[in-house]
Parts: sequence; C-alpha cells; structure tokens
Amino acid sequence: MITFKVAFRNVLRQKRRTLLTMLTMLGGFTLAAISIAWSDGTYNVIIDMFTRAQLGHIQIHGAGYLDRPTLYNTVDDYAGVGERIGSIEGVVGWSPRLYSAGLASVGEKSAGVRIIGIDPVREIRTTRFDRKIISGRSFAQSGSLEAILGKGLAKALKADVGSEVVLVSQGADGSIANDLYEIVGIIDAGDVTSNQTALYLTLGDAQELLVLHGRVHEIVIIAEDLDDVAPLTATIEETIDRPELTVEPWQEFAKSFYNAMKADQRGIWIMVFIIVLLVSVGVLNTVLMTVLERTREYGVLRAMGVRPLQVIRLVVYEVTVMAVVSVVVGTLLSLVINYLLSLHGVPMPTSFTYGGMEFSRMYTEINARSFIIPAVTVVLSAIAVSVFPAIRAARTAPARAMRTH
Amino acid sequence: MEPNNQAGVIIAEAVTKVYSDNGVPVEAVRGIDLTIKHGEFTAIVGPSGSGKTTFLNIVSGLDSVTSGRVWLAGRLLSEMSGRELSDFRRDSIGFIFQAYNLIPVLSVEENIEYIMLLQGVGKSERHRRVGRILEKLGLAEFADRVPVKLSGGQQQRVAVARAMVAEPVLVLADEPTANLDSKTGAGLLDMMRELNQTTGMTFVFSTHDRAIMERATRLVTLKDGRVDNDETRD
Ligand SMILES: Nc1ncnc2c1ncn2[C@@H]1O[C@H](COP(=O)(O)OP(=O)(O)O)[C@@H](O)[C@H]1O
Ligand SMILES: [Mg+2]
Repeated sequence: MITFKVAFRNVLRQKRRTLLTMLTMLGGFTLAAISIAWSDGTYNVIIDMFTRAQLGHIQIHGAGYLDRPTLYNTVDDYAGVGERIGSIEGVVGWSPRLYSAGLASVGEKSAGVRIIGIDPVREIRTTRFDRKIISGRSFAQSGSLEAILGKGLAKALKADVGSEVVLVSQGADGSIANDLYEIVGIIDAGDVTSNQTALYLTLGDAQELLVLHGRVHEIVIIAEDLDDVAPLTATIEETIDRPELTVEPWQEFAKSFYNAMKADQRGIWIMVFIIVLLVSVGVLNTVLMTVLERTREYGVLRAMGVRPLQVIRLVVYEVTVMAVVSVVVGTLLSLVINYLLSLHGVPMPTSFTYGGMEFSRMYTEINARSFIIPAVTVVLSAIAVSVFPAIRAARTAPARAMRTH
Repeated sequence: MEPNNQAGVIIAEAVTKVYSDNGVPVEAVRGIDLTIKHGEFTAIVGPSGSGKTTFLNIVSGLDSVTSGRVWLAGRLLSEMSGRELSDFRRDSIGFIFQAYNLIPVLSVEENIEYIMLLQGVGKSERHRRVGRILEKLGLAEFADRVPVKLSGGQQQRVAVARAMVAEPVLVLADEPTANLDSKTGAGLLDMMRELNQTTGMTFVFSTHDRAIMERATRLVTLKDGRVDNDETRD
C-alpha cells in the first residue's frame, strides 16, 4: 500500500516525461480502439449483408440435410415449428423454403435451375425479398402459377417479365413433375450463382409440383441482433423441441464464409502489435531514464531493508498507474469517437448495393472488445517492458546509499 | 569460538575488505577487531580514505567482508541470506545518511512512518510513535511538509527520527553532519546524544569533524584501514 502510494506520487515527479509517456499509450490505445471498432463494424455489415438478405442468421433442417440435401429429408409440420419460433424474443421473422433441381425452358432456351419455393409474405418480412426485385413484381398469391427468376437466369433464357417458363422436375412420389408458369419478376439475389440458377415459386406451387404437401426443407430465421445469434440458436432448439431437426447458426451453415471472415480479422493483431511497439518504446525509454536517475533512492531503500520485490513493485506500479490512467482516458476518448462514428459513419469512396440494400457508409461497432483488447495490450506491454529496469533497480547495491559523490 | 553476544551490539573480528579497482586490489579495511557495547555513543574517525564508510557498510550488512566475521545483535552476518539481511536491517538498524536521503514524495510524517509500514506495525501504534518522535525532535510543525521544503538541518533531524522510530538496536550514521554547517551539525549531534542517553539506544557514527567527535563517548580512530586508537571518555 505504501509502495503504491510512493509509486503513485512518483508518477507526478517528472510531469513532462510522464505526460509524453501517457500520450504515447493514449495514442496507441485510441488508435487501436477505433480500428478494432471500425473493423468489427465493417465485418458486421458484410456478415449482415451476407446473411440477412439470403441465408438468414439461423437455419433449421432435417438432420443431415446440409451434408446430403435430398428431396425426402424434410421438416414436417413446419407451421407448428414456425409458430413456436415466432413467439421467441429476438426473432425478427422466420421463413420456410422448399428446394429442388429442375430444368427450365423458355421458348427454345433451357437451363438447369434451382427451384426455391417460398412463402412470399414471410420471405418479405424476413429477408426483404421484395427489395431484391429489379423488374416486375413479387408473387400475387399462392396457387397462381407464377415464377420469379434470378437476373442471370432470365438473361440466359432470354426471358422477361410476362414470358412463360416450363419447368420439369421429379416429384417425391417418383412421378415426372412439370408445369407452366408465368414470369412475374426478375430479382437480383446478391450473388452470381443465385442469380444464374434461382427460380422462385410460391411454396404452395412448389409443394404441388414436387408432391411434398405441407413439407419444407428449410426454415430460415432472422435475428434482431447479429450478436445474439448463438444464444438464440440454443433457445430455438429448446423451444421447438424437435430432436430430429438441426438448428444451426450462420457460422455453421456458412462455414467457409465464416472462416474467411475470421481470417480477415487477423488485421486486429497487426494493430495490437503496433500498440505493443509504441508503448514499449515509449515506456522503456521513460523507465530506463527514471531508474537511472533514482539509483541512489533505490540504494537507500535497499539499505533501509526494503525487499528487492518491493523495489520492483515500486517501479512497475509507477508504470502501471500511467498505463491505467492512459487507458481510462483513452476509453473515454475513443468511446466518444466510436459513438460518433457509429452514428454518422464515414462515407465509402463508392457505394454498392447488395441484396436490395445500399451501402454507402461504414460505421464503427461499439463493443467491449475494441476497448478490452487495446487496454489489456497497453497495460501488459507497459508492465512487461518495465520489469527489466525494475529488476535492475532492485539490484542496486545498498552500499551505494552511503557513498556520496 | 562464539563470542559472548551479550558483550556487544557489534562484534567485528579480524575484518578485512579488499576492493578491486579495475583489477587493482584496494585494501580498504586491513584487519579490524572491535566490539561496540549496548548504549554506547561511538564516533569512528579518521582521515578521508581511512575505511570508515567501508567499515560501517560491513557492520550493517550492506557490504560483505573479504575475511573475518561480524556479529550484529547476536547474529553472524555472513550466515544470513540476502532476504534475511534485508529484513534484519529493516528491523534492527536505523540508518542516517550524509545526504539525508529522505523519500522525496513522502511528507515528513510519512517518511518517519515508512519503515513501520513495511514492518506491519498497526496504525494506532505507528501514529503514537510518529507523534511522539515528532514532538521530541521538535518536528511537529513540519509533519505535513515534503523534504524539499525543509532546510538541511531539518531534513537530517527527520532522518534521525526515521532511523529511531522503529526502535532498532543500533543507529548508524555515516558522516551525518558533513552536509550541514558546523552550528547545525553540532545541534544535531547534541540531539542524537540526548536521545542516546534517554533511550539507551546504541549510536555509531563516522566523522572527520573535530567539533563533532568531541561529543562522542568513545572515539575509534582508523588509519589506513586499521584501528589506530580507541579511547573511551565521559
Ligand atoms: N567500491 C570501491 N571500489 C574500490 N575502492 C573503493 C571502493 N570503496 C572504497 N574504496 C576505497 O577504499 C578506501 C576506503 O574508503 P572509505 O571506506 O570510503 O573511506 P572513508 O569513508 O574513511 O573516507 C579508499 O581508498 C577508497 O578509495
Ligand atoms: Mg566515507
């Protein structure tokens, strides 16, 4: 305690030097806190873009469906499941989907397609399906034999709104399934593959075509907050109580995307390395000077019977006090900056549109880790760097206290 | 053979110290036998370079001997570990340095309290002892000041208070008056002598100042690292 008191007051002895050292730490901290918040904000936008508009944050399938998607692995009584999900707090919406492959022909042209049966009302509520329509309109109502095509597919088939498309597939009962649909809309699904293969039908039409009445392959769920996906997944699993179904967050069903995101976030560690460097150089310089100047004092303390460890603590505490104050001030400062940037963002050089949403500004994300990572880094590197000079101070020969030159 | 520890606070037996000055051996102490008894007020005197500081450093465990043995308060110093020596100095020796060497960021009161804090003396006991010694040394009005706000003489009085407050068996002072003018120095010595008489605490100090050595009850004169003369008086 007394050691801390002395250390604390020692901080104020060389005001200029202390100020410079603390500014270095403050600078490193703030820089890192903003960059991490920035990077997280950007990644969240990308992740949200990727999931919200299409894949959803959480998906439910029959067990093993994602590994081997077959027509027969379905979610039965999806409406019952959906009803339970809809009652969970934090769920924005859920949407059932039915998938199959087929051959689509418009006039002379044909192409392989991915048939996607959707509930238009739910799909609009969850993934803003309506916003992706670039030409024509969304489905009128179930049973109307309407189709909506990805823009790449429409181009390949030389089809447009108003054209008729013949669809051939196989029903679940083994029969040949075929029917004629009117193209009512063209969509930009957000990614090239979807645009080139997606052919949307209403869920009712798709179930009819594939002879899968009352069944779907997938339930897509959108959460209010991306950060709550993990606990929400657990809650959903518990609430629906259907052990034959798997409930997975986006990190699972979009694994390669998730891994790519994680790999990109390694940039944070470069930031951390920069602070370590900044803080180390600044602090080392200060501590070395201080220890050198106070050799006599340490000698006196050692002579009076202060233990070496107490001398080490004296030096390390002094640096720790500076680091902690810098971190506190830095937290306040970067909280303000991050808050402002999270509200107003910074315009991007060129805006872009994905899945019907326009992105023109990048925002910071206010989260704990953008403060915790730099704080821990600043304090630990300051302590680490001061340990050597501190040991040196503790080794001061006590006899030095007696010799006056 | 173990000496009779009752006989002395310090027992030095054939102590030598050889320093190496860039490879050249310097014999700072060349065989000192000396016993300092409880309650003595001893001056170690001699010209500069005669080995006073070296001897004081050795008997207080700040420096090691080259040969010979030193007992302090019954403990053989060479048998103690660094940690033991450190704690032993804290608990058994009060130091007064030539350059005062108070802790600059602590007030007079806190400086005096410092060692007791390290010893873990309880708060009320600390305050009682600090209050008493401040009163006794006429420092009460300076209690809250930091050392730089005091004159040299005042700082050295604080150093005396700091050295004595934990009631060590021995107070050691290497040239305590060297940085003071002669009148202030004499005043400090009178104060130390009075404390020696009222508390019975053992004092050993070095000096090369005639007026200061007059105040000692025992005068040990060193010359070239040996005891040249040892006289007790009243
Ligand atoms: N660390 C050291 N290294 C080499 N020589 C030293 C060292 N300390 C003291 N000496 C030498 O030892 C001798 C005694 O010094 P010292 O004990 O300081 O004498 P005094 O205190 O009486 O002036 C001197 O010759 C001095 O130069
Ligand atoms: Mg000397």
